[in-house]
Amino acid sequence: MAAAIDPALHTAGLAAAEAAINRALDLAPASAAALASLQDKVFALHCTAPQVDVYLQPTDGHIRLMGRYDGPVTTSIRGQASDFAQLATTNDPAAALINGELALHGDSAPLIELQGILAHLDVDWEAPLVDALGDVAGHQLAQVLRGVFNWGRQASTGLARQVEEFIHEEARLCPPKLELEDFYRDVQELQMQVDRLASRAQRLRKRLRERAART
Amino acid sequence: MSTKKTTHFGYKEVDKEAKASMVADVFHSVASRYDLMNDLMSAGIHRIWKRFTIELSGVRKGNAVLDIAGGTGDLAAKFSRIVGPEGRVVLADINASMLQVGRDKLLDTGHQGNIEFVQADAQFLPFPDNTFDCITIAFGLRNVTEKEIALKDMLRVLKPGGRLLVLEFSKPQSEVLSKAYDTYSFRVLPLMGRLVANDADSYQYLAESIRMHPDQETLKEMMEDAGFHGVEFHNMTGGIVALHRGLKA
Repeated sequence: MAAAIDPALHTAGLAAAEAAINRALDLAPASAAALASLQDKVFALHCTAPQVDVYLQPTDGHIRLMGRYDGPVTTSIRGQASDFAQLATTNDPAAALINGELALHGDSAPLIELQGILAHLDVDWEAPLVDALGDVAGHQLAQVLRGVFNWGRQASTGLARQVEEFIHEEARLCPPKLELEDFYRDVQELQMQVDRLASRAQRLRKRLRERAART
Repeated sequence: MSTKKTTHFGYKEVDKEAKASMVADVFHSVASRYDLMNDLMSAGIHRIWKRFTIELSGVRKGNAVLDIAGGTGDLAAKFSRIVGPEGRVVLADINASMLQVGRDKLLDTGHQGNIEFVQADAQFLPFPDNTFDCITIAFGLRNVTEKEIALKDMLRVLKPGGRLLVLEFSKPQSEVLSKAYDTYSFRVLPLMGRLVANDADSYQYLAESIRMHPDQETLKEMMEDAGFHGVEFHNMTGGIVALHRGLKA
């Protein structure tokens, strides 16, 4: 049976992505070593929009990406590309899985571990730079790059914190997370009280109908 | 099994007895530059076709895999890593020159321990019944003299539940692509063969043998006739190449 999308295209995309991920893992020995605990587990990512299936298998410090896999999978998740992007970049994958739109089957713990490893890749640029430019120039350029990346990371964290503070405290465009959670708890409690009241009223109506029937 | 005494060698009709040695001459001639020519002729896409074959093979750790007409060992190298030390990969090729190049390449790249090299004819495989979990034959079936006999023998050496994957050139699915492909095959390929491998005839044979090979549906029927179940095929690159998969019940 012929597939709708040419399998060569799909496979070429996966091969390119796999090469990029594994190159990054080669430069991040700590992350590659951390993958050992997930050796040979298989994660199925079923993207519904656009429709793409990817199977991901950590093997020997590298990641193998496949478009098809017939065997049993450890964890299977289904959702849209935006949901996967959110999961890939979040600092709290457990919350993203619980509150997000992704449907999960199987064991979530290995998936959360994998997300942690890939989202926090600590790439060491020094080795390839030293190979290409020599010890002195490579080391100096690596130091500059490390400084730039650290500054970028701190600047983006600081900016995110300041924007959040401005939205909540200065402009008061939306309430803080804790306040919102309190509000949801109150709404939930009110809903339960209303349900109980409705149930009591129904019981009372029934009793009144029975009494009226007796008289 | 056909009772005809002749078969095709490219567009030529030749004696059945003679085809194997004629094909052997072609591959003796191209063996040393086979990988380079493959990369040039397909612009590297043959690696993607082979990668998809590995995905569909479903090979796991500990499996026994036979790669027939394995040539320079592209598939065997990948399978060797997947099956691990407890698995077994047999790289078989009828042609001693190709096998030698494949063996040297695999040993030079550190693939050893779970790989065996066997010079064997796909029609008469020197293995007991029910030996392998998976058999692959990539760009080799069209060179086999009696494809029906070869398919039946592959079924014999597969374990029940085992899979045969045939990766082979096939029939492009669009007219435009077909015309462009014809021009490329009969004008560019022999020229490339002459410039890079100094052997235009072998690449002329390559183009002709592809045209003479059964199309997708015919090969599917041949596999079913040989006794394979659940036979399906996947067209790749617009049908220039097709991957057929069949199971042994």
